[in-house]
Amino acid sequence: MKENRQHRYWTAFILLLAGVLVFFILNICIGSVQMTIPDIVQALTGHERTETNIRIIWDIRLPRTIAVVMLGGSLALTGYLLQTFFHNPIAGPFVLGISSGAKMAVALVMIFLIGRTSRVTSADMIAAAFMGAMLSMGFVLVLSRRIGNMSMLVVSGVMIGYICSAVTELTITFADDADIINLHNWSRGSFSGMTWENVKIITCVVTVTVLHIFLMSKPLSAYQLGDAYAANAGVNLRLLRICIVIYSSMLSACIVAFAGPVSFVGVAVPHLVKKLLGSVEPLYMIPACFLGGSVFCLFCDLLSRTMLAPTELSISTVTAIFGAPVVLWVIGRKNTDKQH
Amino acid sequence: MEQYYFTTKKMCVGYDDRPLIKNVEITLSKGEILSLIGPNGAGKSTMLKSIAGQLQLLGGTVYLGENVLSEMKGKELAKKMSVVFTQKARAEMKTCRDVVATGRYPYTGWFGVLSDEDQKVVEEVMALTHIMDISGQDYNKISDGQKQRVMLARAICQEPEIIILDEPTSYLDIRYKLEFLSILKEMQVQKNLTVIMSLHELELAKIISDKILCLKGEYIEKYGTPEEVFETEFIRKLYDIDDEILLKDAKFLTYVRQISSSD
Repeated sequence: MKENRQHRYWTAFILLLAGVLVFFILNICIGSVQMTIPDIVQALTGHERTETNIRIIWDIRLPRTIAVVMLGGSLALTGYLLQTFFHNPIAGPFVLGISSGAKMAVALVMIFLIGRTSRVTSADMIAAAFMGAMLSMGFVLVLSRRIGNMSMLVVSGVMIGYICSAVTELTITFADDADIINLHNWSRGSFSGMTWENVKIITCVVTVTVLHIFLMSKPLSAYQLGDAYAANAGVNLRLLRICIVIYSSMLSACIVAFAGPVSFVGVAVPHLVKKLLGSVEPLYMIPACFLGGSVFCLFCDLLSRTMLAPTELSISTVTAIFGAPVVLWVIGRKNTDKQH
Repeated sequence: MEQYYFTTKKMCVGYDDRPLIKNVEITLSKGEILSLIGPNGAGKSTMLKSIAGQLQLLGGTVYLGENVLSEMKGKELAKKMSVVFTQKARAEMKTCRDVVATGRYPYTGWFGVLSDEDQKVVEEVMALTHIMDISGQDYNKISDGQKQRVMLARAICQEPEIIILDEPTSYLDIRYKLEFLSILKEMQVQKNLTVIMSLHELELAKIISDKILCLKGEYIEKYGTPEEVFETEFIRKLYDIDDEILLKDAKFLTYVRQISSSD
C-alpha cells in the first residue's frame, strides 16, 4: 500500500519532468524557422555561427520558453492554492476575477505612466498587478463571508472579472496612443515578446514565492481537513490564510504583468495532476502542480504559435479549448458522486 | 485542597457578543469524564467549541493544569487537547489510515512526514479503536458510524491529556455506542485521559460519567455527580417533558423514569 503510493509518486514526477523537457525542446525547435537539436547546440555553443539562428533562439525562443515554464507553473499552483483555500474545486485566479483585477490595474497604470514617462518597468507592472490582484481578492473574500454557497462565490468572481474587464476595455478604447497596440495584444493574453530582463524578474519572484508555498505544505495539509481540525492541530489559521492570499496574488500578479490573463490553466491542471498522483497531499501536489502547469502551458503555447502560423492565437484561446472540458468533467463528476 | 486539572472560572460563552451561557464554573480532576446534557439548542456545542479554544470566550478564564488556555500556543495546546466535532473532516482522496495519521501533526517535523515511531502510534491507536479492517478504505466511502470511530482514532493519535467530543455516539448503533464508550473508559484507566463530551443518551451519560453538567437557559442548571443529577422530576424539567406528552402513552412515563433515575 505504502510502497504502491511511493511508486505512483515517482512515476508521476518522472512523467511530468519528461514532459517539461520534451516540450521545452519542441518549443525551441518548432517555429517559423524549423531547427533540429544539432542546429540549436551549434547556435548556443557558437560553432558555425549563423547569426539569424542565434538571434531567434537566444533572443526570442529561449526567454519565451523559460517564461512559459515559470508562469505556467505559477498559474497551476495559484489555482491549487485557491481551490484549497475556498474548499472549492473550480476556484482559480481567472474564475475568481483575480487575473482581471490585476489586468485592470496594469492597464490603468500603463496608460497613466505612458502619458508622463516614456518607460514602464517590469517592477511597475508587477506592483500594479499585485495591487489589482489584492483588490479583487479582497472583494472575493468579503463576498465569501456573506455567501456560504460555493457556486455563488464563483459566479460573483466571474462578475468581478467582467467589471474589471469592462473598465480595462474602456481605458484601452479611450487611450489612442500607438503604444496601446501592445497593450491590446497583452490584454488578450500572450507569452510573446519576452525579454531576458522579464525572465530574470519572473524567475526571481516565482522561485521565491513557490519556495515559500512549498514550506507551507504541512499547515496546508491540515487546512484541508477543515478549519476546526486544523485549529486543533495547532495551525495558526489567520496567518496561513493571509499567506495564501498574498502568495496567490503575487503569482497571479506576475503572470498578468507579463503574459496577460490566461484562462483555465489554474482550474484544470490541479485536477489532472491530482488524478495522476492519486493524492491531494500538498507536499507532492505543490511541485507536481507547478510541473503540470509548465507542461500544459508549453503545449498550449506551442499550439498557439503554430496552429495558424504566421498568425499567433491568444494563449487563452488554446488553454480554454483544453482546459474548459476538464472543468466540465470536474463539475459532472461532483454531481455523480453525490448521487451514490 | 485537591489539585484540579481542568477548571473554568466565570466562563461566559456565546456568539457575536451575545452570551448564551454565563458564569460556568467547572472543576475536573485528571482522568475524569464530564458529560454535558440538555435539550437541543441549549448551547452544548457552543460551550465545547469555547472550551477547545476555537470560539472566543465572552468572559472568564479556562485553565488547563496551571496554564490559561487562551494563552497557550497552538502546538502546545494541540499536544494536550484534541477534539471530535459533529462536523466531519474533509478528506479528499484519503484512506482511513491517512485521516488517523493527521492526528500526529503536532509531533511531526517541518514537512509533516511521519517517522516510524509516528507510524507505530497510528497502528496502535487503530488497533485500539478496532478500525484496522477499514485502514485502506477511502474515508469518504465509509459509513457515518465508521467515520466517527476514525475521528476518535485521529483524536487519540494526537496523544492528548484531555479530549473534547461533541455528540460522539449519535451515528452509532447500540453495539458501537458501547464500544466507543468502552474505548474512552479504557483510555481513562490506561492513560488517565480526561474527557469532556456532550451526550444525548442520558442512560449512557449516567453510566460513564464522573460528572454531569446540565445546560438549559442562561445559567448552568446543575453540576454534579450522576447520583446528584439524575432524578426523574429534574430530568423532566430539564427537557420540558410535560404531562401532555407523557399522557399519550403509559409506557412513556416508565421509559422516562427508567433513564432518569439515579440507580
